[in-house]
Amino acid sequence: MKTLSVEKKESIAVIQLQRPSCLNAVNTQMLMELQQQFEELQSDKTVKGVLLTGAEGNFAAGVDLQEIRHFTPLEAIDFAEKGQQLCSLIENFPRPVLTAVNGYALGAGLEIALSSDYILADETAQFGFRELCYGVLPAFGGTQRLPRLVGKSRAKEILFTGQMVSAEEALRIGLVNQLFPQKSLLDDVLQQLQRICSSGLLSLQMAKEVIDTGYEINLRAACKMERDAFAVCFSTEDQKEGMGAFMEKRKPQFTGR
Amino acid sequence: MGDWQLLHSEIENGVGTLFLDNGERFNTLHSECIHELCDALTLLEADSDVGCIIITGEPGESFAVGANIAEMHDFQPLDGWNFSRLGQRLFDQIEASSKPIIGALNGITMGGGCDLALACDIRLASDRLKVAHPGAKLGIITGFCGTQKLPRTVGFNKAKEIFMTSRTYTADEALQMKLVEQVYPADQFMQRVRDYAERIADQPPMALHLAKKLLNAAENICLVNGQVMELGAFASLFPRSGNMERIEEFFVEHSD
Repeated sequence: MKTLSVEKKESIAVIQLQRPSCLNAVNTQMLMELQQQFEELQSDKTVKGVLLTGAEGNFAAGVDLQEIRHFTPLEAIDFAEKGQQLCSLIENFPRPVLTAVNGYALGAGLEIALSSDYILADETAQFGFRELCYGVLPAFGGTQRLPRLVGKSRAKEILFTGQMVSAEEALRIGLVNQLFPQKSLLDDVLQQLQRICSSGLLSLQMAKEVIDTGYEINLRAACKMERDAFAVCFSTEDQKEGMGAFMEKRKPQFTGR
Repeated sequence: MGDWQLLHSEIENGVGTLFLDNGERFNTLHSECIHELCDALTLLEADSDVGCIIITGEPGESFAVGANIAEMHDFQPLDGWNFSRLGQRLFDQIEASSKPIIGALNGITMGGGCDLALACDIRLASDRLKVAHPGAKLGIITGFCGTQKLPRTVGFNKAKEIFMTSRTYTADEALQMKLVEQVYPADQFMQRVRDYAERIADQPPMALHLAKKLLNAAENICLVNGQVMELGAFASLFPRSGNMERIEEFFVEHSD
């Protein structure tokens, strides 16, 4: 792999974007390598969660303009589809995926972060979409996921102005869930993810799915979907273990069955 | 009012209050309690003296903490389905009620208790509030619409954090994420909630009813249809005895 590294820390896979010579700008190769990694991690049952981050002080800048500036429309469609495929793979990944952002998370980089479950950052983080300044627009789902997260008006402001959103501002508008100190960001996020992954993984997966799918449909149908997922929990060993442990006042040992 | 084991009620100055009180340390929302809540709400709905309803766990330690784990431990999927359906029926009833319903979150509010709070029209919290959704820790998800209502209230990334970390949040954090509308000091809590509810109850019930219907509909339907509904509802309030006088009074009061 030329554009990223994958390291396993206990049951968490840490994926680090690595093209430091260009602020980890996203190119076709990075998209393909990420796609391949997420596919492999999906079938690796020892991996309970994924942490996405970037090397050398930045998460990722936008797409590599060098690569795309002479694209024909057909090539552009192909590129956008690769990016959208990756983002939907991350979004539908059956276990938690968190993004830790320091430095720049711009354009395609931000779109990848937006497709994870939520974003955590340190005070150096800066977010933005500069695509309009280059005569194009975000194409990996950013124009759709950003308004669903921060509201339509704010999303328009961010896209139209192309201005950077600071870490503080990102926290205020809900783009980022929590801020951590720069020197401990990775450890703090890793710790949070490990804590998450000590819960019943089956119910986590179901919660993730009903939140994501339910958000797209009307509340009435969505609640019925939740009801059915709730009932399915009672066919699992995790439910027996989780509730048994609670009543016996001990720590549960989940097996994911 | 009715004869209940797990709650009691009071009606004062146009406000009906339901106190969850199951005699134990925490108010669990087991099936019997949900049945009683449905019955009590039906009575308050029919009572024309009541313009606004409060649900609270005052003066206890908790608002409500969700299902009784002992009851659920040996559930089969069908039991889970039935239980979830029962809870969702209560929440449908809260939504369908013509009267504003306030969740007065006096203390610990977890799991199904959090879902009950989300089903209410407005949430007011004491500064003693502790709120969490710890289902994942127990190997389940919530079945009372929490996975659907919470993202619609606090945004979906915050909702995922809440469900995935099982973490407990304070009153200030709940206010910041807009999970609750107001936070009051614990020693003045019930008085402030009553004042708030009385201000609501003092307004004409028909306008309140239609506003609630339209705002609920906004969650489910497209803007174009919502606009048509609003138009019809708006027109239906004219002319109505009393509302022209209220409009005139309002402008006189606000003319300086």
